[in-house]
Amino acid sequence: MSESIRIVEEKPIPSEATMIIGLPDVGLVGLIATSYLISELNLEEIAYMDSDLLPPVMVLHKGLPHAPLRIYGNQNLIAVISELAVPVPAIYPIMQEIVKWGQAKKVKRIVSIGGIPIENRQTITEPKVFGAASNQELLDMLNKSGLSIMNEGYIVGPQALTMRYSVSKKVSAIAILAQSFYNYPDPEAAAMVLKELSKISDIKVDISKLLEKGEEIRLKARDIMKRTQQEMSRMKKSQEYDLPLYV
Amino acid sequence: MSEKQRKHSIFDIMNEYREEFETLADELMASAFSEGPSWNTETCCLQALSNVIITPREVIVTADLPNIKPESVKVEAVDENLIEITAKMKKKVRFADLGIDHRQGEFSSLHCQGRVHVAIDTEKMKISFNGGILEVRFPRKNRHKSE
Repeated sequence: MSESIRIVEEKPIPSEATMIIGLPDVGLVGLIATSYLISELNLEEIAYMDSDLLPPVMVLHKGLPHAPLRIYGNQNLIAVISELAVPVPAIYPIMQEIVKWGQAKKVKRIVSIGGIPIENRQTITEPKVFGAASNQELLDMLNKSGLSIMNEGYIVGPQALTMRYSVSKKVSAIAILAQSFYNYPDPEAAAMVLKELSKISDIKVDISKLLEKGEEIRLKARDIMKRTQQEMSRMKKSQEYDLPLYV
Repeated sequence: MSEKQRKHSIFDIMNEYREEFETLADELMASAFSEGPSWNTETCCLQALSNVIITPREVIVTADLPNIKPESVKVEAVDENLIEITAKMKKKVRFADLGIDHRQGEFSSLHCQGRVHVAIDTEKMKISFNGGILEVRFPRKNRHKSE
């Protein structure tokens, strides 16, 4: 399955690092938060994903071509982002490859960042943030740090597969999810995720600039949000609104 | 069983229906997310993201309108099924402001249209604007009495 996917390393990859995954999803929360982290911490591009399962797209930044799905890092942190809505047929092998690569690089922990869609988001000034974990020990750690736990519910898409493959490969993983708009870019939710991330890790950034740039980000993110919405419809993302039955 | 008979088994018929349904769903998806730029340099408009939610009692149209003057928001019913939303921006945005140097143009408003497939009473719409999100609620017409 992974034959047509490979992660090409451009620089030495740190081991024992925390790996943040922020792919386009609900409210683009993960992508906005992770991009902001990359920019604020001056992380450098260390690897990229090469796959014929992804559309034939390159992104130009400062005149130079970059793969849309890229990996940044420093000595302690690895950050995975995609400037492309990952097509649904590719999402399984891509997430599997990312987790497998993280395991090979001996990451300390995978942190998947995203949003939880809520219908009345516009009436909420400060979105709440919830956590989930791949094992009880990590869940206790989140609890002790004061992060609310998402006790029951469905997660669909990149976070779901990160959890699935992390559990099967015994890689520690947590998901940090903020209440957000479903199909409108939500920089405020991204800021709240980063605020909570700073409580449970040593990854600390000043979120004030992100909040100030909120309107600009919402204007710039319209196109990727639209394309992400198409993929979310295909993966039945709206199931996150459903109530699970477990008696 | 002959090849001809096998082709017309209940499973083949179900498969045909499924394929037709998938084709229709793909067409609907394509029409809902039409390809094309999210900007128009002639009208100086950027396309706003919007949503239409239909409930048993009302239709709720929302739009993400960052960087606009709330007092400039206009909501119009173009016809029975089409709602148009426009709003002027607080300050003009050029391609260069969005990091794009290979195009020229500036934008002074946001615009979107929402297609509504049920009858609504446009004269009783209620508009609210909160955190950059416009919400317009229309009561539905011709609802069954049992509702």
